[in-house]
Amino acid sequence: MDNGKDLFGYDSLAFFGKVNASISHELKNVMAIISETAGLLGDLSDMASNGTPIKPDMLKSCTGSIMEEIQRGFLTIRQMNRFAHSVDTPLESVNLMDVLDLAITLSGYLSFSGKAHLTPCKDRTPTASTCPFLLQAIIYQALVYTFKSTGPDTAIRISLQAQGDAAWRIIFSGFNANAFQKFPDATTRAMAESIGVVFHFDSTINRLALEVPLTIESTTTEQVAPGV
Amino acid sequence: MEPESTINILLVDDEVKFLAAVSDRLTIKGFNVTTATNGEKAIEAANKGGFDVAVVDLQMPGTDGAQVLKILKERHKFIEIIMLTGHATVDSAVECTKLGAFKYLEKPYDFDKLIEVLKDAYHLRMQKKFENNAKRMDAIQALSMGQSPLGILKALAKLDDGNK
Repeated sequence: MDNGKDLFGYDSLAFFGKVNASISHELKNVMAIISETAGLLGDLSDMASNGTPIKPDMLKSCTGSIMEEIQRGFLTIRQMNRFAHSVDTPLESVNLMDVLDLAITLSGYLSFSGKAHLTPCKDRTPTASTCPFLLQAIIYQALVYTFKSTGPDTAIRISLQAQGDAAWRIIFSGFNANAFQKFPDATTRAMAESIGVVFHFDSTINRLALEVPLTIESTTTEQVAPGV
Repeated sequence: MEPESTINILLVDDEVKFLAAVSDRLTIKGFNVTTATNGEKAIEAANKGGFDVAVVDLQMPGTDGAQVLKILKERHKFIEIIMLTGHATVDSAVECTKLGAFKYLEKPYDFDKLIEVLKDAYHLRMQKKFENNAKRMDAIQALSMGQSPLGILKALAKLDDGNK
């Protein structure tokens, strides 16, 4: 294996597995709806064969539902593919909006997830040279803590602010401060330290900020995720 | 199935389309189905009484399936509960069994399998309900073989008629 591609440890693997399990859960739900709706179409066909009049609207509703679920399945598989490729390169220049978008989408597959609204960054493209996999793991964990603590009715707001030429701040707001009493856990903290991400939590205004350095050149490839 | 011998099913899942499709299929087969899209609504519906079997999704926002299972088993003596999940684990299966789930089905499942499990669950409910009624117990035992699952369900429901 090439140098730099075998640096993610057990906790990263555990995160990878956890997210994949939630994606497979989503796909199973999609398949279950398609299976039951196709079965219903079969039941209706049998009834029609036996002389029971069937309303065309019911058939249209079934086929429409199947088409929608197929699209939902395609979309889920696309996100699964994005997530799978996020480990391809340990360090690269990434658009933080893309990383945030994927982390938000993935956390949305959890049964306890609420809503997360991402405000686009209009001033300039928010790029950073970082480890996209670890950064999305940290963002994902922040979302999980919020949703777990405040429930499915939560609507988190996420925005980005430039911190001069040195860093970007990812700001989470719209949640209860209690959500972050135990955040970050040791694993997430180790991941953050390995890529130079710093947590700023202000309980007076219910705001969490993740400071992402524009580059982690000072952190060598070999140092990414030590012990993580 | 005649209206007077209908089996009352409480179907609980946060996937609305899944709920609608399964509800329609069970209704076509002659069951009387009530749906709930979350745990709170399921408990509220069950409090009105009259359900023979509940089919409950394990992973739901808010009050999850395991909590619904625990509350329904505590409050409703004879109800049997079938758990559904899209993410089966040994731990969750053990937990549900300890809480009194009749069966644990993984999505997507075969519809005929659901009917078979519903038949077994309803059969167990009848045995518990009439355990002190030897005549009816004999009749219930006699129904256990030689018919399709739907046929057995229909016959069991007739035996239960008037005792809901």
